[in-house]
Amino acid sequence: MEIEKMTVEEIKKGYRTGEFSAVEVVTYYLERIKEYDEQIGAFLSLCENSALEEAKKTDKKIKNNKALGLLEGVPVAVKDLICTRGLRTTCASKMLEDFIPPYDATVIKKLRETGAILIGKTNMDEFAMGSSTENSAFKTTRNPWDSRKVPGGSSGGSAAAVSAGFTPFAIGSDTGGSIRQPAAFCGNVGLKPTYGLVSRYGLIAFASSLDQIGTFTKTVKDAALGLQAIQGHDSMDATSIRCDITGDYTIHLEDGIKGMKFGLPKEFYQEGLDEEIKASIMSSIQRIIRMGGEVEEFSLPITKTGLSAYYIISSAEASANLARYDGIRYGYRTEKFSDIETLMLNSRTEGFGQEVKRRIMIGTYVLSSGYYDAYYKKAMIFRRKVKEIFGEAFEKYDAIISPVSPVLPFDIGEKTNDPLQMYLSDIYTVNVNIAGLPAISIPCGYSRSQLPIGLQIIGNFYEEEKLLKSAYALEQDLFLYHKVPELKGVV
Amino acid sequence: MKVDVKTINHIAALAKLKFGEDDAERFAEEFKEILEHFNNLDQEDLLHEDRNPANGREASLREDTLETFENKEELFKNTKDFVDKYILIPKVIE
Repeated sequence: MEIEKMTVEEIKKGYRTGEFSAVEVVTYYLERIKEYDEQIGAFLSLCENSALEEAKKTDKKIKNNKALGLLEGVPVAVKDLICTRGLRTTCASKMLEDFIPPYDATVIKKLRETGAILIGKTNMDEFAMGSSTENSAFKTTRNPWDSRKVPGGSSGGSAAAVSAGFTPFAIGSDTGGSIRQPAAFCGNVGLKPTYGLVSRYGLIAFASSLDQIGTFTKTVKDAALGLQAIQGHDSMDATSIRCDITGDYTIHLEDGIKGMKFGLPKEFYQEGLDEEIKASIMSSIQRIIRMGGEVEEFSLPITKTGLSAYYIISSAEASANLARYDGIRYGYRTEKFSDIETLMLNSRTEGFGQEVKRRIMIGTYVLSSGYYDAYYKKAMIFRRKVKEIFGEAFEKYDAIISPVSPVLPFDIGEKTNDPLQMYLSDIYTVNVNIAGLPAISIPCGYSRSQLPIGLQIIGNFYEEEKLLKSAYALEQDLFLYHKVPELKGVV
Repeated sequence: MKVDVKTINHIAALAKLKFGEDDAERFAEEFKEILEHFNNLDQEDLLHEDRNPANGREASLREDTLETFENKEELFKNTKDFVDKYILIPKVIE
């Protein structure tokens, strides 16, 4: 029995048939984490005792033939920027090193209601700012496929945890690609739902108009189950959508893609895209055509300007959101101060890492007098244009297919001294957040050096069902999902 | 766009951050590159666009009713100092 290779669906089945117990499953994962995570660095904290207690409750329910929740007994790892009551939530920042939330985020409540078992909190780029998980104040996460490479970011801990077989399911957040890019780098399925479909209550804010919580899983079907568990209206989030979505995304999952129309934005396949990634995506497109999908090239002229608009808007919102960390009420406080001004200055200067300070500075700059019109205002106008351009595309196509990242997983330390190069690696993902659309990243192949390659499918607002159906068809045709890293490169 | 150490220090003061001279110089260099990329926006025709991003969506607001937060003990665990019902903070009024 190789539990580390199991999907959520298989674990659920195993409980029903009595093949194994929840205590056995949770114990197995915890032991595997203890054996390998010192090298991978996916977790910031574990909840060993509570996880085993909850597993016992699941087993009791199974024994007594009680109704089981959608994710009953399924271990879940959660990115450390989602509030968990009584459990340290650090945002991988010195600023929140000792922060213990007095409440659960809505997604945590929902996961608990469905019976999922929280096994730990995962590493990330500090305050979700980064594309490599190297910006954590506590540790660097390594890619389970090659420990010299980054796992992507900012949800690199969650992605690495699923790939390394530490959990079958993890939660992350995606502000500009922070679920899809690490999913692509680590070879798992990353789903960023439509903005508003999943409550952000209890998600520590980076850029509120772009942040969205989503899932990491081994398969598309598991992503459908995960989304069903966490989606839905929440009165605690004013941007949460009020609509009648049943939430069962598995009903039409196997319907196939015959007759569906897919658009390929030509700007996403030009200069700058790694040749191996391009070849892998093109081969997947041939599979889509063979399955009866119609594919057409079209123009989506937003990539470079969208990236600029993204970094302006997200940094502006970050500078406002992170103003609350002043060393006064909670969070890190300096020991060196003589008055209120030095207390705030020193607490923030000592408590935030380099990249967070860089974003706060960019955000403050673009909002400051004399530059607001030149940057922030223009970026907000362009944001509207991006939505319109996508809107026109979805009049013609059911979904858009693109790369997730222009590059393969890069070396640890390779881009840390060149922020613009790091920002450019988000070029295919950020526009989806600017528009608020749903998108999924699925593995579509491996490079010659055996590094995973991801493919992105972008859907129209609230068309997660169509998105998942397309991703499922391709996943079944590619049949890559049982491939797992051997953790051989782990030293 | 001129970004020098003086600009960096001005922005840092607004953001309640401070940088040593070396850091400020490095930031100024990085800023130049990043702002150059931001100039992509000038190549777009944005004259006819409305900038309301909500696009007709309405916020879904809950009733504005008072609720008592029961877990005060847990909440105040995050403060540095706590006396009776009050958070104790350093002197902030000169």
